[in-house]
Amino acid sequence: FPPDAKVHRLREAAGCPRQTRAIRSDFNIPTKASLKKRALNGSIPEYGVSQSNGDMDDDAPSIYFVGNSLGAQPKCTRTKLETWVSVGVNGHFTPLESSPLTAWQDMAADCAQQSLDLLGAASPGEVIYMNTLTVNLHLMMASLYRPTEKQHKIIAQWKPFPSDSYAIASHLQWHGLSPSTSLIEIHPDNSQAMSISTEHILRVIDEHADKTALLVLPGIQYYTGQLFDIPRITALAHAAGIPQVGWDLAHAVGNVELSLHDWSVDFAVWCTYKYLNSGPGAIAGMLVYERHHHIAPASSDSDSLGYRHRLAGWYGADKSVRFNMEKEFRPAEGAHGWQVSNPSAVELACVRAALGVFRRTSMRELRDTAVVLTGYFEWFLNGLVEDKVGMGEDVQPAFRIITPGDPLERGLQLSLLLRSGLLGKVSERLAEGGVVVDVRKPDVIRVASVPMYCRFQDVWGSVEVFKKLSKKPDRPHHREAKISQAASRYANTFHCKPLTLRNSS
Amino acid sequence: ATIDAGSGGSTTDKCVYLCGNSLGLQPKRTQTRLNQYLATWATQGVQGHFKPLEGSPLPTWLDADERAAQLIAPIVGASEAEVAVMQTLTANLHLLMSAFYRPDINGKHKIMLESKAFPSDHFAVETQLRHHGLDPSTSMITLTSASSPEDNILTTSEIISAITAHASSTALLLLPGIQYYTGQLLDIPTITAHAHKHSIFVIWDLAHAVGNVPLHLHDWDVDAAAWCSYKYLNGGPGCIAGMFVHSRNSTVTRAITDEKPEEGYTNRLAGWWGNDKRTRFVMANKFHPVKGAAGFQLSNPSVMDITSLSASLELFHEAGGVGRLREKSVRLTAFLEELLLGEEGIVGEEESSLFRIITPRDPEQRGAQLSLMLKPGLLETVMRELEKRAVIVDERRPDVIRVAPAPLYNTFEDCIGFVEAFAAALKVARAERGT
Repeated sequence: FPPDAKVHRLREAAGCPRQTRAIRSDFNIPTKASLKKRALNGSIPEYGVSQSNGDMDDDAPSIYFVGNSLGAQPKCTRTKLETWVSVGVNGHFTPLESSPLTAWQDMAADCAQQSLDLLGAASPGEVIYMNTLTVNLHLMMASLYRPTEKQHKIIAQWKPFPSDSYAIASHLQWHGLSPSTSLIEIHPDNSQAMSISTEHILRVIDEHADKTALLVLPGIQYYTGQLFDIPRITALAHAAGIPQVGWDLAHAVGNVELSLHDWSVDFAVWCTYKYLNSGPGAIAGMLVYERHHHIAPASSDSDSLGYRHRLAGWYGADKSVRFNMEKEFRPAEGAHGWQVSNPSAVELACVRAALGVFRRTSMRELRDTAVVLTGYFEWFLNGLVEDKVGMGEDVQPAFRIITPGDPLERGLQLSLLLRSGLLGKVSERLAEGGVVVDVRKPDVIRVASVPMYCRFQDVWGSVEVFKKLSKKPDRPHHREAKISQAASRYANTFHCKPLTLRNSS
Repeated sequence: ATIDAGSGGSTTDKCVYLCGNSLGLQPKRTQTRLNQYLATWATQGVQGHFKPLEGSPLPTWLDADERAAQLIAPIVGASEAEVAVMQTLTANLHLLMSAFYRPDINGKHKIMLESKAFPSDHFAVETQLRHHGLDPSTSMITLTSASSPEDNILTTSEIISAITAHASSTALLLLPGIQYYTGQLLDIPTITAHAHKHSIFVIWDLAHAVGNVPLHLHDWDVDAAAWCSYKYLNGGPGCIAGMFVHSRNSTVTRAITDEKPEEGYTNRLAGWWGNDKRTRFVMANKFHPVKGAAGFQLSNPSVMDITSLSASLELFHEAGGVGRLREKSVRLTAFLEELLLGEEGIVGEEESSLFRIITPRDPEQRGAQLSLMLKPGLLETVMRELEKRAVIVDERRPDVIRVAPAPLYNTFEDCIGFVEAFAAALKVARAERGT
């Protein structure tokens, strides 16, 4: 970046497509005022409409760097939700003429169709929205982790998101196995590193492949933000004889470009409330590779099932017979055959709304912008370290970035490991400055400059707040000045006498 | 609900909606609560998880599951710790079976269920057996009624006898609190007690019972149960479901720091949301469940769905609980039955012969729903004619109509409206058939 990039008027000139800028207005971003407010009054922040009678700056949108934890709300989500009122049960089957929603029965299929670019899936048949991430992980393991006496191990990352650990350990127990005999964990290369090199992963694979039935890894590691080499690891694991390779893509979908079909991943699971902006706890997603879809014609003398075993329910049955209440389970083709129950229609509506925003751009464009935006952030942050901002008396820098420096080895998130004891102060100052970041106690903050709704200006603005870390907090008389400013404005607006401030303590 | 009433009716006339057993109607409050949820997400972003807002009827998102458990507990007759609002019905059945169905092929390995179980239950059992390498032909027992071969209304004594007959090889019994097809209400406490005498674990599918009839799952000593929320609970299509686990089945007797802590609780398919809330975000690597049904949760739940469900459950409380609703329901359904049996003269003699009520006559053996078995070939015409008259009921091909006056929002007038339309529909069907 050129030296004048530190001036906040740097336009999104670094190759950022115009479309991505326009998309920001598709989102409701919390304002500084609304983040501070104590009561729910049902109003949505609108730019230009004053939420508070205080500092005009408060009406500005916050700098929302937590899309990796909870994505911002698309404005169209509300519109999509308005159908259910009028139709009762007929909404299950009949498309409404003026409704933006497809008939509920087809909604999951529609969401799958809208996800092809996001995932690099070959067809909507590989994709299904259902359940939650951890349940989908269990359903995939129930189908694809079929341990034999010889091949019974699961290789996983050491310290993945805990839900994955718990899922794997409990799934092993369900088979009468135990993590102590059947779980291989991949640790970071050495005690200093937080990342795990591909070479190291491949070494572990080579060592244990002949006894391993399943490899499951995060596409992007939640804590460090490291992006794993999904195609290479998948290919080499298969080549080494590991029959099934699955990926937890909670932090990868909507963040980095994926070509899951071409990469031959056996399955992938993800949640939709991070980069897919579908709301807290929204219905999750799953991909099942084409080669697991095959359903043999029914044959009365066949010993084998004719399709991949799975924990089943009525909604995974072929649609044409689903409401016939037949007893013999024949799965629907593709990923849809793994459904168990009918899904939440409002949840699918939220996912559909959010996916619609992705259709206004492409993963290629988003990724291109993110690489620059995150690079810009990193450049600034490194500059702070160079300038010794917030440095301690022991000459320890205030933080170090533990996310890989190579853009190809990370998504849009940066994880900062703060010097011990700084976390409380840093998150407080950031919050005061209207910068929302994610905190991982005891010492890490994660920042996610999501290209859909974060701007270069936001990065610059947040760095300005970071810079103030080494300064003392606003002195009392400074605060008083601001309050009395607000009071005057109030008085002018409502034609009343200026308020007399009581002692600010 | 309003629907195009076809010829003659105004488009704002309410339809006659007796389909709450399939999809409950939307409480008006739901839209308010969902708007509040959307406003919270839009204005608070990630803070919605933990920042309480004054004047908001909504809990913070981290507490939403607990709040929902508080609301559902009295509806099923359990303590808060015995219920969890989570997942979907069939997923919950799988999760319960994964925890509590531990077959021994040389001892107790069979799962017993009714022969006309809702297909999802059947598929769930079948595939659980397969997971253990068992075969449905040897490890699944399906109950048929000798006394009621056509409708399969299993009497309590038939079920008891079947349990006794297969006791030595049966590990698990899965039954519906209310049978979806016939509307029969089973004797949950008696059947459960008898199964326990023979060390059989009992799971009840309460899809059609919850919010319909009073339940006392804790006092009845029920082992576990699961239900969906979009029928009588009016949570919305596919809304987040629920499960019950009796407190004696969800104990945690060792701390995570003890030796072999996993031996202090029933192993289950786990996820982070089953951990103790206070330590959940510490991101420890070992699972140790919180005691109670909450320990069976896996993922952070859909806040939108919980908000929708909780909005509806508020109404249940305001209405005085399921017990009070049941008082009205018994009268409502009895009135519907009277009308159908022709006692008011709405249904003519010839029409009467075209259907029969297959639901038990005894109010103690049914909930709100009546199932009407039509003579063959009439269903399509009848449904078409009903819809023309803005009457919404549920069909079960080839010949059954289910009619469920829900006490929360249906009226005695609705029953009259239905029967009048039904009689007219039957006349048309009869004429078309030329009889």
